Order: sequence, then C-alpha cells, then structure tokens
Amino acid sequence: MFTRREVGSLILGAGALSMVGNLPKANAADRPSLNIAVDNLWANMATINGISTTSRRIFPNFYDNLVDRDYIKDENGLIFAPKLATKWEQNGNVWKFTLREGVKFHDGTEMTAEDAVFTLSPERLWGAKPFEPRGKTFTAGFKRVEATGKYTFEIETERPDPNIPSKLTGYIGFVVPKKYYMEVGVDAFGQKPIGTGPYKVTTFRSGEIMVLEAFDDYWDGPPPVKQISWKIVPEFAARMAGLVSKEFDFIVNIPTDQEAALEKYHGVTLKRVLADNYPALAFNTRPDPVDNPLVDPNLRYAMVQAIDMNAIVQALFNGTTEHPAVPFNFTEYGKFYDPNLPVKLPYDVAAAKALVAKTKYKGEKLLWHITRQYYPNYEAAAEIMVEQWREVGINVEAQILDNFELVYRRPYHLMNMSMSSDFIPGDPYQPLWLDWGPTASRSTATWKTWDPTPEYLAAGKKFDEAIEFEDRKKAYLELSDAWQKVTPGYYMWKSVYNCAHRAGIQFKFKPNGEMRIYGDYFKFV
Amino acid sequence: MTRFWVLKILRTVLTLWFVVTFAFVVLRTSGDPVVALVGADATPEEVEQFRQLWRLDDPLWIQYFRYVIQMATGQFGISYRDGREVIDIIVERVPWTLILGVFSYIGAILIGVPAGIIAAIKRGSTFDNLIMATAVFGFALPNFFLGILMILLFSLSLQWLPSSGTGTVWHLIMPAITLATFTAGTLARFTRSAMLEVLDKLYIRAAAAKGVGYWKRIIFHALPNASIPLVTIIGLNLGELIGGAIVVETVFAWPGVGRLLVTAVSSRDLAVVQGLVLIMAVTMVLANLVVDLLYGLLDPRIRVQN
Repeated sequence: MFTRREVGSLILGAGALSMVGNLPKANAADRPSLNIAVDNLWANMATINGISTTSRRIFPNFYDNLVDRDYIKDENGLIFAPKLATKWEQNGNVWKFTLREGVKFHDGTEMTAEDAVFTLSPERLWGAKPFEPRGKTFTAGFKRVEATGKYTFEIETERPDPNIPSKLTGYIGFVVPKKYYMEVGVDAFGQKPIGTGPYKVTTFRSGEIMVLEAFDDYWDGPPPVKQISWKIVPEFAARMAGLVSKEFDFIVNIPTDQEAALEKYHGVTLKRVLADNYPALAFNTRPDPVDNPLVDPNLRYAMVQAIDMNAIVQALFNGTTEHPAVPFNFTEYGKFYDPNLPVKLPYDVAAAKALVAKTKYKGEKLLWHITRQYYPNYEAAAEIMVEQWREVGINVEAQILDNFELVYRRPYHLMNMSMSSDFIPGDPYQPLWLDWGPTASRSTATWKTWDPTPEYLAAGKKFDEAIEFEDRKKAYLELSDAWQKVTPGYYMWKSVYNCAHRAGIQFKFKPNGEMRIYGDYFKFV
Repeated sequence: MTRFWVLKILRTVLTLWFVVTFAFVVLRTSGDPVVALVGADATPEEVEQFRQLWRLDDPLWIQYFRYVIQMATGQFGISYRDGREVIDIIVERVPWTLILGVFSYIGAILIGVPAGIIAAIKRGSTFDNLIMATAVFGFALPNFFLGILMILLFSLSLQWLPSSGTGTVWHLIMPAITLATFTAGTLARFTRSAMLEVLDKLYIRAAAAKGVGYWKRIIFHALPNASIPLVTIIGLNLGELIGGAIVVETVFAWPGVGRLLVTAVSSRDLAVVQGLVLIMAVTMVLANLVVDLLYGLLDPRIRVQN
C-alpha cells in the first residue's frame, strides 16, 4: 500500500519521465510541479526596488535580461549570450541594441523597443524622481535612451562605456512592460510583476509564498515545470525535514554546520556555489568620534595583520570557500586576477604588534557593530577575530545589533558590510569604484566610514575612463594600491550559497544565487 | 450598573490609547524603517526619497496625531513593505491564527482541566505525581524547542506529519500540540489547586453527608466553585496563546498574524506592526471583559455586588 507521499512521488516521477527538453503544449498539463522551501522572500518583486539576494534567486524565472551571462560554457559567466537583445554594437558614446522579435509578456502583449527604453528610462531609473531610485546606482553616465525602431533602441552615455552590455546582464537589464507598469504603478507592479520569463507570477503573498506557473508562450519554448511554489519556511529543521520527506523538491540556505548532516540522507543532493559576494568589515577611518584611534592607518594595518583569516575560513567553512589575500584580486575577474600579486598586509602577529607600538593607541575599547545573523558565520568569525586582536593588544568589542539602522548609529569603530562583485562581469568596477567611490553610500551617507583620498579619486577617474584592457588593468592596480594605502576595509571571504534538492533533478546553481528552473540549468533526469 | 460600564469603557479606551502610543514610541526609537526598506547599500538620496514618499520626514508629533486619528477611525494605513492596505494583510492572516488558536485552546482545556481534576481527587497518588510532572514539563518546555523536536521526530524520522505550512488537517497537528502544551500544563496545575481548595470546604462535606453521589459532588458542587480562578487563568492564557503563536507560527511556517508580526517588526513595517498591536490589545481587552462577565454568571455574589 502506498502512502500519500509515495503516491505523490510516483505521480511526480511519472511526469518527470516525460520531461526532456522543451515540451509540446499538449503535454503541458502532465508536467510536474515543484515546491521550494526558502528562508525568505523579499516583499517587493519590482526589478530594482526588489533587489535582494532572495529575489535574485527567483527573478530570472519570470523576468528576462536583455543580455545573459552563460554559466554553462564558462564557470565565471564571462561569456555573454543573447537573450531579449540579439545584437548589440558600440559606436563611440552610443550603443545600439536589436531586440528579439515575437517575445510576449505574460499579459500577452508583445515586447518592443518601447518597453526596453522605458525599462532603462530616466523616469524609471535615473531621472530627478525616478520610480525606482536605486536604479541611479547602476546607470551612472547614462545620457539618452531612445527607440530607433520597433525592435531597436540606443543608449547614449556621457563618454564611451564598453561595459553597457555587461551592465544589462544585471538587475537593470530585466525588461518590464511599460503599459502595465504605468497603469498599476511601481508598488502594485512589485506585488504583481509581469515579465517575459518562462514562468508567470500567479500568487504572491509577501512573507508567505510566491507561485509561478508555466508560461507556454515563452519565446524559448514551454518550461519544464507546471508550477513552482516558493514557500517561506523560516526554520531550517522544517526545511530539512520537508526535503527528506519529499514535501519539498528544493531547500535553500543550509547552515554550514548542518550540511554534512543533510548530505547523509538518501536522495538528497547538496549544491554549493561560491558567490559573487564578499562579507567584509569597514574601518571607521574618520575622526568621528573625535578620539577615534582608527584614524591612524598603522592601527588599521595592524588589525589586518593580526587576523589569521585562512584559519578562520577553514574552521568555519571547512575549506569550501576562500579568503582573498589581496583585496579586489578576485578569481572571477578573469584577466584582472593575478595569483602572484604581492600581499601587502599578510598575517603576521609580530608585525602587527610592532605596528600597534607605532601608534598612540593605549587599549581603548573599539566598537564593532554587527547586524545579527545577516551573513552566515560572521558572528562566529568576529568572536575569533576579537581574540586575535586581543593577542596584539587591540581591544575590540563586537556588538551584535538587530538591524542596519542600529549598526549605522554612531559611535562605532568598525561595522559589518558586504560587497557584491558582479555588476560588470569580469571587471572589478563595482567593489573597487562603485562601492567605495565618491558617490558610494560608504563615502556619502551620514554613517560614512571614509573620505576617498585625492590619490584614490585620481586613480579612480583614470580607471573609470579607461576603455582598453591594458589601460584599465593598469588603472585598476593603481586604484587598488590607493585603496590599500588607506585600508578602509577588510574583505573576509567569498560568500557561499547553497541549496539541496531531491533525487531526479539535475540542477546548475549560479554564483549570483539565481535558481533558474529552465534551460540548461534545470532538468528532470 | 451604568457607572460600572462607563468606567469599564473608559478604562478600555485609556488602555488602547496607551498601547497605541507605546507602540508608536517604541517603533520610532528602535530603528529607521526606511533603512530596513531600501537596504543597507542605499544612498542618502534614495533614503530621503523613500522618507518623503512615506511621509516619514514630517515632524514626529504630526506623524503621531495622524497615526492616532487613523487608529481611532479604523484606518490602519498602507504597508511600507508591499504597499497593500494593512487591514487586508491582517484580515487574510487572522483566520489562520484563529484556526490554530481555537484548536489548541480547546485541546488545552479538554486535556488540562480534566487532568487537574483527576490529580486533585487522586491527591498524593502516583497518578497525581505523574500528571503534575507532565504538567510542569509542559509549561517549562519552550515551545520553539518542542516544535523543533516534533518536526525532527514526526516529519524527519517517522515521516508521519508534514513539517510546515498549511493545506490539510495533518498540517495543524504539530503546531496545535506545540501551542497547547504550555496552556494545558498551566491549566492542569491551576485546576488541581482550585479543586483541592474547594474539596476541603464544609459544603462539600455536607453534600457527602446528605448522600450526594461522589461524581455529582465533584461535577455539580466542587467544579463550579473552582471555576472562578480557572476562568481568570483561561482569560489570561489567551494572551499566552497569541504570544506563543508568534513562535509556533514561525517554526511551522504557519501563515498567521504571529508570523506576520515577526516579519513586520524585523522589516520595520510600522503600519502593520501598529495595526497588529492594536488588534492584539483589543483582543486582550475583550477577553478580560468576557472574563469579568463570566465572573458574574458563575458567582451570584459578584452579580449582586455589581
């Protein structure tokens, strides 16, 4: 006699057998459904206002980018592939894009250049009062976005920008339907989003569930799953139990110390991917509070040299991730990455003590503001680091706070942060310039932790304007040096995203956390 | 009698005003909702734009009066998180908490009260000790811990029950048991104490002397007289149920108001938190009112006094 779940599994398995590649519409009803237990869902699913790790996970299932990054052919996703845009070419300050024809939004309307232009328009992203204000961060230098035909449009920038196609692989490249967006407004759009992706949103109750259904008019053919339910299950034990008992097909965000236990269950496959993101700490380099000892760079250097981060990463992540010994020298940057780049501030307790001795620091308490449970293992690492600093005579108190607003409240000497590295694939523009430069929140907000030095700004200008790779790499090294001279922060490790799925699924997890349930990224086997 | 009701209503209004003011002050001093809304990397310009959009740039006293007027007229406002009417968000969650609460409440009463009666009439026996040990275990065990233990046993190991969510009656079992355990334990202990006090009274002995049967004495003479403290505890435990639901709904991914409150607080969704606090306060005030009325029904002396 079969149990309720076994019957469900058999039905699921029977459906799975018929799932190879794209499906004819007649079989659409036979496709299996998926239940995915997630730790959280962002409250807003608009492409920019909804930016978060949890929405990035889902977005590509119902939105399509203009340009895609191909992680199948290249582990780092440095190969670009056509998606909604099929061709693009640069002529000086102007990029011309040609759109795929016959692409439909989920409401049945055709996607045209008018939608693509609206998606990237000043009224939506970069004007005086845009609908989605965070868009400004990703559209620096935009001057004009204009349709030149039903399926062609142009982007003009203030100066030649070789990275426009790269930028369109990210959040700003998700095309939204102008008519529907304007009819309902940005907030309602974030609750009932429409895109051109392989699945359409049928239910979204923020804080509870999002249900996607197959969009069989998808330009690349019907997707392999009939319905995907992304259910919030905050408690990990419930997620794990649900996967093992086959209530869920996928679960996400598995605590590192629970990975081994989960892998022991039959039929469970754990997937781990090094993410394009680095948890870090920022040193408050400014005289605020007035007696801040960290204004002395020697004390910051000492703090970096006192940390044995390789040992910490090994202990906490069991060798599944790595510490970038030289900031911004990240492996995902391809040609920019240099494994032989000298480490200016290596782990060296004696050197750290000597540096402390050169300062006027007399053991005053330094406050480290940390957001509770925001980055996996951050608090555990902080405990170890506090002890390592104590070894060299630096007295740090890690204060675990409930939210970022509390973290930003002065006084503090250190604070937690994280930096993504994938805004321009294969290029260190985001972490090195966008995140620390003169317009970054880190150097402009009321809680800012540093003032970019003239040397950094000059190098940054060169880097920003460099087009040829050799010029850009030279400027990058100069900029990185200028940053390291100040050392306003410390990159700890490359984040690890993980998920687990049941047997019978072949799945490729992307380093930006996307869970694409279609194409070469997902198959029933 | 009129004075009694006027005083009651005044006290209720004062309590509710105090609660909404307290919620307003605490929420404004514990974090900036805009920072929670736009994320850690937002620029000051973005933060300011959102602040204007939600009128959080108005002076605090203007925000307070707007808020009090809204609450007084039943307009809970719009959620900062998802732009929906707060009342709609709350109304769609209330039935789930009611289902969970009613099941666990009835279960707790059906288990806790008889267990307490049996423990009282078998005073000092092994049975009494066993019931009381179980009751202490029940209310001493944190419900998040019990919930996780149950998930690991019944969902992970035995695979008898679904681990989380809703959909079938099976989904209700573990959250309801987890939520009921504390209340049942408390009720069992209070019932036992109340019954022991009554069983020693002279009128019980007099009833026995008059030949009234054992169970008739327990049910018709002792139990009604022991019910005043029990009603008080049952009323107070309604608050415990709401508090417990916050944890239980989170552990079992139950989509009720408890979980909504957790999400709203962590994301600084002021409008939702304020709405929920008010509704919870009204629930507690009404529960106390019902308890007061029940006193009168159960004890004629109180009725006459009023």
